[in-house]
Amino acid sequence: MKHLNKFKIIFVLLLIIISTNANAQIIKAEIRAAGLTCSMCSNAINKQLKTLSEVINVETDLNTNTFIVSLKEQNELSPKVFKEKVEKAGFFVGSLIITAKSTTIAQSSYIKINDKNSKGSEVNFQVIDKGYVTDKEYKKLSKSYKNSATYTLNNEDDFHIKIID
Amino acid sequence: MKNLIIFLILFSFEVQGQVKVGDLIPTFTLLDSNNKKVSTSTFKQKFILIDFWASWCAPCRLGNKKLVELYNTVDKNKIDIIGISLDTDRSKWIKAIEKDKINFTQLIDPKGFDANTAIQFGVDALPSKFLFNEKGILITINPTDKEILTFLNKK
Repeated sequence: MKHLNKFKIIFVLLLIIISTNANAQIIKAEIRAAGLTCSMCSNAINKQLKTLSEVINVETDLNTNTFIVSLKEQNELSPKVFKEKVEKAGFFVGSLIITAKSTTIAQSSYIKINDKNSKGSEVNFQVIDKGYVTDKEYKKLSKSYKNSATYTLNNEDDFHIKIID
Repeated sequence: MKNLIIFLILFSFEVQGQVKVGDLIPTFTLLDSNNKKVSTSTFKQKFILIDFWASWCAPCRLGNKKLVELYNTVDKNKIDIIGISLDTDRSKWIKAIEKDKINFTQLIDPKGFDANTAIQFGVDALPSKFLFNEKGILITINPTDKEILTFLNKK
């Protein structure tokens, strides 16, 4: 009997973990790549992003030099994966703007740096950590957030995010 | 022997869908800037330089100016230059042709990197150039102007 209770508790806990994961999800990522050469002139970033099974489609916006990545439901991707793919293609992330379910940013890996709140079920935010903005911007940001306990630590599994309307 | 076979199989996958030096020019039919069909079967007895580009590709636009200069200096009985644009927006392509004063044949395969010819040629970056000899055999990829002239003068 005691055993059964234990199992019940574990089962409920598992359910909670699974359901919170299902609610937290990145829907879309807009990546502006930077590098020494013309990032849109290369098919490499596109190819790298499409190696992810969670990716539905990669569109390119030639006016803004942006790759727009739409993702499957219930994926568990972290912003880190976009940075890794862009770097694997030989470029850097110049900016990364993510659209996600609002519950996503309740996860402990996300640290909000402005007071804005998401209004609906989705939230747009920019990741402002080192490697997700240009070097120049990072220098500026690290001055602005020098009093933050976490920003300058550059923990690669923490994401400092700026909520965008 | 086993290893050799595995290597050959891997190698054949590697080169699939992209021309390499020594290959014949892939066959394709595309529309030119006057909306006329142009097919590889009409290319004969001449060197052909194929240049893949797009209007939004800044390095290609610089390259266009150089290509026009090159085209103006070469013997047109010996070589044709053919531009293939991967633009998805035809009007932007036409504008770029006018602005860059391109006077050689311009074709469009309006599907970006997913375009058939881009796949046939294995184009993974813009600009990309392919020089075929008068027999339609690929002799070099991304040659410089100087290299092109050297090939022409050998003939």
